[in-house]
Order: sequence, then structure tokens, then C-alpha cells
Amino acid sequence: MSLNKTITGWLIALATAAVSMQAQWIKYPTAGIPRLANGKPDLSAPTPRTKDGKPDFSGVWEVEHNRPCPANGCDDMWIPQEFLDIGWSLKGGLPYQPWAAEIVKRTQTDRSKDPNSQCLPTGLVRMYTTPLFRKMVQTPGLLIILTEREVAYRQIFTDGRPLPVDPQPSWNGYSTGKWDGDTLVVETSGFRDGLWLDASGSPLTESAKITERIRRVNFGKLEVEITVDDLKAYTKPWTIKLTQMLAPDTDLLDYYCIENEKDRPHIVGK
Amino acid sequence: MMFRRLILVSVLFAAVPAGAQWFKLPTPGIPRTADGRPNLTAPTPRGPDGKPILSGIWQMNGKYLQDIAADMKPGEVPYQPATEKLFNSRRNGAGGKNDPAARCIPGMPKLDALPYPFKILEAPGEVIMLFEGFTTFRQIFTDGRELPKDPNPAWFGYSVGKWEGDDFVVNTIGINETTWLDNAGRPHSDALHLIERFRRHDFGHMDIELTIDDPKAYTKPWTVKEDLRLIPDTELLEYVCNENNKDYEHLVSQ
Repeated sequence: MSLNKTITGWLIALATAAVSMQAQWIKYPTAGIPRLANGKPDLSAPTPRTKDGKPDFSGVWEVEHNRPCPANGCDDMWIPQEFLDIGWSLKGGLPYQPWAAEIVKRTQTDRSKDPNSQCLPTGLVRMYTTPLFRKMVQTPGLLIILTEREVAYRQIFTDGRPLPVDPQPSWNGYSTGKWDGDTLVVETSGFRDGLWLDASGSPLTESAKITERIRRVNFGKLEVEITVDDLKAYTKPWTIKLTQMLAPDTDLLDYYCIENEKDRPHIVGK
Repeated sequence: MMFRRLILVSVLFAAVPAGAQWFKLPTPGIPRTADGRPNLTAPTPRGPDGKPILSGIWQMNGKYLQDIAADMKPGEVPYQPATEKLFNSRRNGAGGKNDPAARCIPGMPKLDALPYPFKILEAPGEVIMLFEGFTTFRQIFTDGRELPKDPNPAWFGYSVGKWEGDDFVVNTIGINETTWLDNAGRPHSDALHLIERFRRHDFGHMDIELTIDDPKAYTKPWTVKEDLRLIPDTELLEYVCNENNKDYEHLVSQ
């Protein structure tokens, strides 16, 4: 499928950047990490908690490696299934509206419209499926997500403020979170039109509302249940679950898609 | 200056639709005068450890982005000869296309000086700066770690911070050598070591005393003092430089 070919093009860009960096990943012991007798991080240790007893999501996270490696070996940037198709775990796939199904069909032969190929922001869903690190920093009243990609960030306000009535359209939207037991429930609205949720072209419109239910299962694993309610693009709301794995004893590097982007002219488009 | 135009054009485009929609949100804990306005000359807030609290949304005096030596007299910047030659070749907008910021990568210390607000957050083990401009961030580690011996060159370098009395002192090295110190085009080398002293004078005012220690590019360290003001009762907006950058193609290349 030509989709795979063009994704390979996208990966080449990532891999080229990665080669020179590989020898220099930042090695720094993560503070407060429980360790096994051999000194390795104990990733199945209990969920850490903040002073107020809530789970602490702070840490460097990466995608779950749920996609088998190609025959010629794993890529440096090992994409998860959801990078290619955010609805891959759903029986029958995503409930596209006809125009949205058209975009996905077109994208099989034309990836030039992908915001990712133009070094534009990922938006909050693709942020979780991007095979580069992100770091959560939980402070009182505010959860921040810092991303290696584009050295960007997202704010989730947990200080009790309401969502704005008429938010400024943006790539990340406006997010507020509140606790439901040990789960942080994050509501986001105020997206701009034109976001994609995956490399297949699954769109998101400005009328979308996204709910994330974030739970730290244990020290090494985060579960993010995402419900997309966007009846302009989908015939009904749908829910998927993403897993994020802790990347211990490291920190973020900077990654600018635009720094040395050579692929775009080679991506087939119309 | 070409870059000034770039910034202004971007500001105008962003401001037109956004003008009516700046976030209006009362900043919690802000002292207010009798008429309800923020009292920006109230005393510096302090944490339980007695240290000044730096958290808040701030914005730097815009003149330092254009000219980091705006407050210095002619001849005071201690250029190495090659640095001065390069600087002179970039003046009046020449070579604006070679400034990575024109391609949406601002670098340090320019990032601090953008004419947009940024938020300082004091988190366990690090201070984080979130910038509205370019929607980007800096991490300043405060967990006592040393600067790395041979850091990966990075656009904003590698930063560690510690308190010295009421000054928060940040040391940064490993800054990608292609960035410019200001829009005027002052160069630096890969040996650049930045020392920032954050000093909050009162509730609404702060200085960054910035020392540029770069023996390859300058004959001795030199220091400038940049002033910032608190931006109360608001929140950061999203700014994606690469979303609609129309200026790059019009900038001059060397």
C-alpha cells in the first residue's frame, strides 16, 4: 500500500535525525524511582503519589511498542499501531461520516495534506502516538505535557476553572481536568479545523469534544482512554485506549521537524 | 530591520482575530488595590523557604529582542574581530534568512526576549518556562545536578539553576552555535556560557541580569540587564510559527 511507502518516507526523516543523536541520549537517573536488587528500575512498583494522595503522572513517557517490527528490523522511531490508524482496535474501524471516509481513502495515495508532513503540531491525540518522548510534570492546579517533537507543550488546568464558552480555536484545544478517584478526567474543546488523528487521515473538526481518562496503572505504565465526540466527522462518539510506557533514567532532547526537513518535496500529492 | 518586520507582521496577523479573545482569568493570590486592579508594586511573594516565588506570567521589554546591547554605549560590546565583522555583515537585515528564528527556531537568549508572555512554573527538581511565542519551553534543572561535560548541542542549551540569596541563578551551555543573540545579528560560538540572574523586585517587576561568557566570540564576559513585567489575569495563547510563516521567502540570504 502506498500509505506504507509514504510513512516510510516520514520515518526516514525521523531515522536520519535519530542516527546522529543515538550515541547521546541523555542518561540521568530519574529521582525517586524504585529499583530492583540489580539497580534496574522496578517498573511494576506501585503508582507514585503526590502529597495530596493523588496519583502522580510526572515522568518521561513513550509509546507502547504494540506493532511488530518489519522483516528488516525495527525502526529507530518505532511507531505504534495507533500512529497509523487511531481506530485499529475497534471492530469495524472508526464510524466515519462519508466526507471523512473520503479523506481516508484519498490519503492512501496522497499524503501531502497531512499536517505532520508539513511539520505542523500533532494535536493532543497524535501527541500520544508520536514515537518521541514526552514528559508529564504535575504541579498543583496544572498538569503540563512537554514534548520532544517541536519542543512544544500542552497545559491541562486542574485548578477548577470551567472550560471557556467560546475558546480560541487551536491545535491542542483548551483542557481542564478533575479527579474521579484515581483517574484524571480531562475535557478538551476549542479545536481548530483540519487536525488529523492518525496517518490514515482520520479528521477532527472544530466541533469536537475530547475526553481523556488518564490512569497510572503502576510505576511504569499509564493508560489513557480517549473518547472523541465529533459528530461532524463521525456518526457517533467512539472510545479507544492508549498505553504509555515510562522511559526511566533519561530526559527530553529537542526535535524540530522543520530543522532539516527534506521529505516534503518527495511525498506524493496532488 | 527585516526580522523586526517579520515579528510585527506575525503579531498583527495573530492579533486581529485574537484581539477580542485574550483570556481573562483572575490570577489567584494576586494582591489588589481598592479598585480591584492588580497591585504590581506589592512586595515580592515568598515561599515557605523564604525564597522569592518566580511563578507567574511575565513579558520582557521588547527592545532587547531587537538589540541585546540596547542599554550599552557604542564600543562597549567586547567583540573579537571576527565576531564584529560577522555582526557588521548582518546589520540592517542582511542575512536575515540565516537566522534560525526566521525558520521558527528562536534559540537562546532570544527566547526569553520574545515580545509575548511566558509562564514560569516551579516544579519539583526543575523550573519550567512555557513560552507563548513559538509554543515552546525551557527546562532549568534545580535538583543539584552539574552541567554536562559534553552536552548535545541544543537550540536552548542545557540549563541548571540554583539560588544565591534572592537571585535565581541559571547557567546554560551547549547552545547550537547558529543562533543569533538578537535580531540585530550578534553572533555567538559553541563556547557560549549564559549566566542569567532572575531577580524579582516586587510583585509585578523582575530583572534578568544576563552575562554572555563566550571567549571564542568576545574578548571578555559582558553583562546586560533586561526588565520584565508581570502580566496578570490572563493565560497563554497558542502560537504556531510554522502555521502560516510567509516572511521567510522574503528575507535576504547571505
